[in-house]
Amino acid sequence: MLELVNISKKFKQTYAVKNMNMFMERGEIVGLLGPNGAGKSTAISIMSSLVEPTAGEVYFDNRSILKNPTSFRKVAGIVPQEIALYEDLTAEENLRFFGRIYQIKGKQLQKRIEDVLQIIGLADRKKEVVKTYSGGMKRRLNIGVALLHEPELLIMDEPTVGIDAQSRKYILETVKQLNKEMNVTILYTSHYMEEVEYLCNRIYIMDKGNLIAAGTKEEINRILSGEKSIVIKASHLTNPFIYELKTYPLVNSVDVMDKQITVMVSKEVNLFKDLIAMADEANIELISVNIKTPTLEDVFLHLTGRALRD
Amino acid sequence: MTAILLAKLKHLLRNPWAFLGFTGICIVFALIMGLTGFESRSSVPIVIADEEVTGSSILTTLNDEESISFKEVEEDALIQSVKEGKAEVGAILNKDTYELIVGVESTTVSSVDNMIRQAYTEYGQRQKIIEHIGDLKQTENALQKEIDEASKNPVFSVTTSNFTTDQTMMYDPIYQYVFGFGLFFVIYTVAYNVLPMLIEKQEGVWDRLILSPVKKWKMYAGNMIYSFCIGYLQVLIIFSFFYFVFGVDFNGKFPETLLLLIPYVFTIVALSILLTAIVKNSQQFNAFITILAVCMAMVGGAYWPIEIVESNFLIAISKINPLTYGMEILHGVVNYGYSLEELFYPVSILLLMGTVMIGVGIHLMERRHI
Ligand SMILES: Nc1ncnc2c1ncn2[C@@H]1O[C@H](COP(=O)(O)OP(=O)(O)O)[C@@H](O)[C@H]1O
Ligand SMILES: [Mg+2]
Repeated sequence: MLELVNISKKFKQTYAVKNMNMFMERGEIVGLLGPNGAGKSTAISIMSSLVEPTAGEVYFDNRSILKNPTSFRKVAGIVPQEIALYEDLTAEENLRFFGRIYQIKGKQLQKRIEDVLQIIGLADRKKEVVKTYSGGMKRRLNIGVALLHEPELLIMDEPTVGIDAQSRKYILETVKQLNKEMNVTILYTSHYMEEVEYLCNRIYIMDKGNLIAAGTKEEINRILSGEKSIVIKASHLTNPFIYELKTYPLVNSVDVMDKQITVMVSKEVNLFKDLIAMADEANIELISVNIKTPTLEDVFLHLTGRALRD
Repeated sequence: MTAILLAKLKHLLRNPWAFLGFTGICIVFALIMGLTGFESRSSVPIVIADEEVTGSSILTTLNDEESISFKEVEEDALIQSVKEGKAEVGAILNKDTYELIVGVESTTVSSVDNMIRQAYTEYGQRQKIIEHIGDLKQTENALQKEIDEASKNPVFSVTTSNFTTDQTMMYDPIYQYVFGFGLFFVIYTVAYNVLPMLIEKQEGVWDRLILSPVKKWKMYAGNMIYSFCIGYLQVLIIFSFFYFVFGVDFNGKFPETLLLLIPYVFTIVALSILLTAIVKNSQQFNAFITILAVCMAMVGGAYWPIEIVESNFLIAISKINPLTYGMEILHGVVNYGYSLEELFYPVSILLLMGTVMIGVGIHLMERRHI
């Protein structure tokens, strides 16, 4: 359905997106994951035909959207990262305005407005001015506006940043529902691992403009398959201790963050006793040691040496 | 495009205060300045203490003064108004002498003193001449001739001049203030209504419109038409207020005046578009427009008549200032009775400036993709 081929975008000297390849099939929910500044929004602007890439092509049903954006725009809905609404209009008025802009008229417009309000759960607050909404309600309306013209493809740029848990849950459910019941293909961007893990079949992980991993959830997890992570928290850390860990024969990798160390080892390895001994020797007081199967978060940590959230 | 205009209109109806505020302030300023302008030009109260003064040349001489009007009042009223500071100075006219009642020493006082002294001197001269030649039984006519002759070739003469009596700038100051403040405040109103375009671009509303089937020129046109209308509405309200409520008659050129405001408001819309394209964010825009508007007003003759600006540099600057032409057009049509050809020049400069600024502005915005 949508395909990015060797997309790059350069701002002055630096690449915001570098050589990105990506595809989406009809009916999928695809996740685009990356920390702030990874280049997600830039990639989205390019694939929604708002920004021209420095190099590369974007195809929608095998036709270039750069050369011919109109037919693509008709069936694509974009949820921008910013709240792009008129703050002093009500939810209903916002929807009516954008509906008119999309040349939906009369009874049909009224019906679409009602439907969308239903989907985003703002029907009972539709007469209130957006200014007075909570962050979560604004986010929901921000999504609603993109749904007015019944898009086949919905591109969402971090639709859950800065909102309460309840709204977040509501949005995640809405996304699932749109995909299941209305067969909308969705690109879901986030820097929250668990959202992407919950929603998406296939995932792309970006960092500093580069795609660092791509595949189904299982494929990505397989990057660390056969491994488990041991998360160690200590009162303080010393270099000899870390060195010791890193050079320990059975350890695959070590990532240090603040007073927390994540050690990757093969599944069958039991490091517990040795770990305690090493800590003892280095005079380090352990606060906790957790052993778990790796998550996407660990994958990211493993690939970049940094945590996803800063 | 209708949808865009409707949304903007709703926005205005929900937040009318900035618009009403600017309009109100403008009217109040023009009113205060215009009225105080009248006061200082006119009204020196006089008391006539001797019957003989009434029919004499003293009064006629004083009444001929252009820069100050002498009004006859009762003695009590005179003292009262000097006391309260309504008049800087008053005069009591006797047969041979006069008395000045001075509230504050000022240039007005000395020029009033001069005027009255001169009136008395002339009167005295006439009296003397009549006395001297009375015996010779000359006819009144001949006498008059002689006096005229004498005044044409005086023994010594004093030339007085000050700028308020300068003939080229003699018009009712109320126009200066109505035009000046009107054109000044409309810059803010227009600019603050173009600004949302910048904000919408930053917040993504603009992108939403770009993704929709709406044509881009319609998006620009909708914004510009709205800003124009709101700016024009403001000057319309202000000028109508003075026309209908205060009876300022624009020398019978009210419809023409309103019509000729169009090119100016258009150019201000264009200027705001250009500014939007140059600045990075709305804070910069606000800072810029505040400074720019004040500079334009000072250099363009909104606060004081452009004629008193003497620096060549400022005059050069004023030539690229839309406000200069706006003022020229308004003064031209109302106070100087410009012909169509004479108006054509400033009008076409404004339209040209406007077109260029819109062109450059939109081009810059599109290229920077903001
Ligand atoms: N218009 C722009 N001009 C210059 N640099 C930009 C611009 N937009 C984004 N960038 C840079 O590109 C990088 C990626 O930004 P962005 O795509 O917004 O990341 P994300 O959405 O993943 O947080 C950042 O370093 C950002 O500073
Ligand atoms: Mg982003």
